[in-house]
Amino acid sequence: MAPSVNNHSGVALKPFTAEDDANMRESLKRCSAATYEAAAQFRKTGNTEHLPAIVLGIIERYVEPDLRAKLKDADDDLRIIEDLGIDSLTMMEIVILVEDVLQMTINNEELRHLRTVGDVKTFIESKVRGLPLPKPTKFIPIEQIVSVMPIQPPFLFLGEASVNAHGANAKYKISGQEFFLQGHFKDNPVLPASIMLEALGQLAVLFLLEGQVGEAGKTVDHRTIFFTSCEGVRCHRVCRPGDVLNLSIKPKRLKSPLATFEGQIRVGQEKAAFAEEITLTFAYAEEVAQPPTPQVAPAEQPVALNPASPKVKSAVNA
Amino acid sequence: MRKVHITGVGFITSIGNDAATVSESLRELRHGVVQYPPFQKPDVPVKVAAPIRDFQTDSTDQEDWVFPARYRIRRELLRGMAPHGVYAFCAMQQAIEDAKLTEADVSNADTGLYAASAGSPFLLGYHLERMRKVGVMRCPPLGIVASISGTVNFNLVSHFKIRGASTGFSSACASSAHAMAFAYDEIALGRQKRMFVIGAEDGNVESILPFAGMRALSLQSDPSIASRPFDTARDGFVGTGGSTVLVLESEDEVARRGAKVYCELAGWGQASDGYNVAISHPDGDGLRIAIENALRQSDVSPDEVDYVNAHATSTPIGDISEAKALKAIFQDNPSRPAVSSTKALTGHGLSLAGAMEAGFCALAMKEGYIPGSAHIANLDPACAGLNIIRATLPQRPNVVISNSSGFGGANVCLVFKSG
Repeated sequence: MAPSVNNHSGVALKPFTAEDDANMRESLKRCSAATYEAAAQFRKTGNTEHLPAIVLGIIERYVEPDLRAKLKDADDDLRIIEDLGIDSLTMMEIVILVEDVLQMTINNEELRHLRTVGDVKTFIESKVRGLPLPKPTKFIPIEQIVSVMPIQPPFLFLGEASVNAHGANAKYKISGQEFFLQGHFKDNPVLPASIMLEALGQLAVLFLLEGQVGEAGKTVDHRTIFFTSCEGVRCHRVCRPGDVLNLSIKPKRLKSPLATFEGQIRVGQEKAAFAEEITLTFAYAEEVAQPPTPQVAPAEQPVALNPASPKVKSAVNA
Repeated sequence: MRKVHITGVGFITSIGNDAATVSESLRELRHGVVQYPPFQKPDVPVKVAAPIRDFQTDSTDQEDWVFPARYRIRRELLRGMAPHGVYAFCAMQQAIEDAKLTEADVSNADTGLYAASAGSPFLLGYHLERMRKVGVMRCPPLGIVASISGTVNFNLVSHFKIRGASTGFSSACASSAHAMAFAYDEIALGRQKRMFVIGAEDGNVESILPFAGMRALSLQSDPSIASRPFDTARDGFVGTGGSTVLVLESEDEVARRGAKVYCELAGWGQASDGYNVAISHPDGDGLRIAIENALRQSDVSPDEVDYVNAHATSTPIGDISEAKALKAIFQDNPSRPAVSSTKALTGHGLSLAGAMEAGFCALAMKEGYIPGSAHIANLDPACAGLNIIRATLPQRPNVVISNSSGFGGANVCLVFKSG
């Protein structure tokens, strides 16, 4: 057997023989030609950029034809069971085919929590690259949002929400009963731009409280979160009662005491608002509960204030 | 005891894929035997079989299968099915339409389903081979559901949302006669109002050819004479598959729904040979007692029987045993009932046989004819005295019995009366 080679994705490459190719063609015979092409490229080069096409192509093959359109312009939040009608047995069929094509093994426990297309893509990529497995998307019903958030109705602008390692999404339907719509504007209810920004900020708060922020075991104290700044805010669409806002935020920088997010709002396929940066301050519960002493100061605190010096970096690389 | 009626039938068989075609084949004595392509190899001594037309189920990947366009089966159901599961699904759909059952009639606590098949040796072999080759974690999750005995009841009970009694029967070639019999009990005893009974077999290389090892299959290469029960030159059975589904209903349900009735299933009996695992008792003792039990329970005297649909599979020993049992039962008037084996036309359907032949009896009683025993050139002298009819008779039989015998010496006799 030829020695393994490593490529830039860090994937150990095994030789891809003509027999492997024939087997893979047979395994993927009910998938699109693009799926096979991506899989062949991946097996030859180890380039993980091909993974999303492979995974989506395999999922598509198991979705009933009338639901396949949903996958075409799917975002990563598309839910496997609820939106695509895939049951746990079909999920197993998907996994077996993915295992076969990507030459990997996935165990039942890892599977159990994958709920969205994004979860599956992220999971497979981490697995192939040997990275630690991310926590899958957490869906948070409105009751739970109300119970964890410091912000409460009538000033809460989040409906159902989901949080994963890469950000958070939420929906908010403008009911028309919002108190401020009486005066904004006279006989012409329009959601204020400041409220759009507020809704994105609230979603960022939810991410800090429910997402995987900081080291294991640390939680953010909700009393410590405040708005500090925003930049590059643009509104593209007037939003009125009846519109459903699709809110999403992604963290750009996360170092206590500052968290910076990019945020956007869509209504259907239309862009409604965009914020290049929304920055909040926050602190971990431990830091608030007990006065920090030098011995137990959080490890990353000095790092955040004092990024690693070039000297340290070169030592690591040596 | 409540009366039990047959109110619906569905067929996917070697002699037709609907009741009308099957009935025509029975009447005209049209057989379904062909030189079976997978057997045309030097190392396979058997050349003929009676396959199912208009279906292609020879791939191990269910999504490759082809079946008539009037049947629609979603992938999530198909992936757990054996070839005979598809046959059973189609026959079930026919039977439901034939009996004019609504969804509510099919799915309720008073309606059950009994099925009989030997599983799918074809798929079981494939999945076990795959397990050895690539490891168990790379095997299709529903491979086991598709393969093992019980696959028909698993799939159809869940798909058709059956909520009453359900189970499978496994007594080889007596299996679906047992399913009929115990379904009768469920209704007669008032436990259920309606029962579906299903017999089914793959009827492919893996389910038929192993019988060549026990020298039970005909080596005849001419399809038109290979299956010839009661003929002196018979040399074994011809394998077949497919499915038959029957709807049994209580007389109250028949009255409530105003259902059309094929015939009454009047009772049944069984007995075992206690003799040999694969060879029938030389005097047909077990079968004789089964018939006696059936007639007694149905309150029918031997003199009343108009037609015997024989089990006779065209094996040298089995047909003689049955002939002896019939002579013992009808000793006062052995030529009174017409006797025929419809296996001359269909081949032997193994677990399917009992239900398939019960379906044939139902058709004959409703339409008024007695199917002949085809392909007899020289009647075996051991059958002399019995009225083995070589041509179809144009009269309606009022009392009919149907025999089935399976491995281990299990014997079942079903009794039908004109509705």
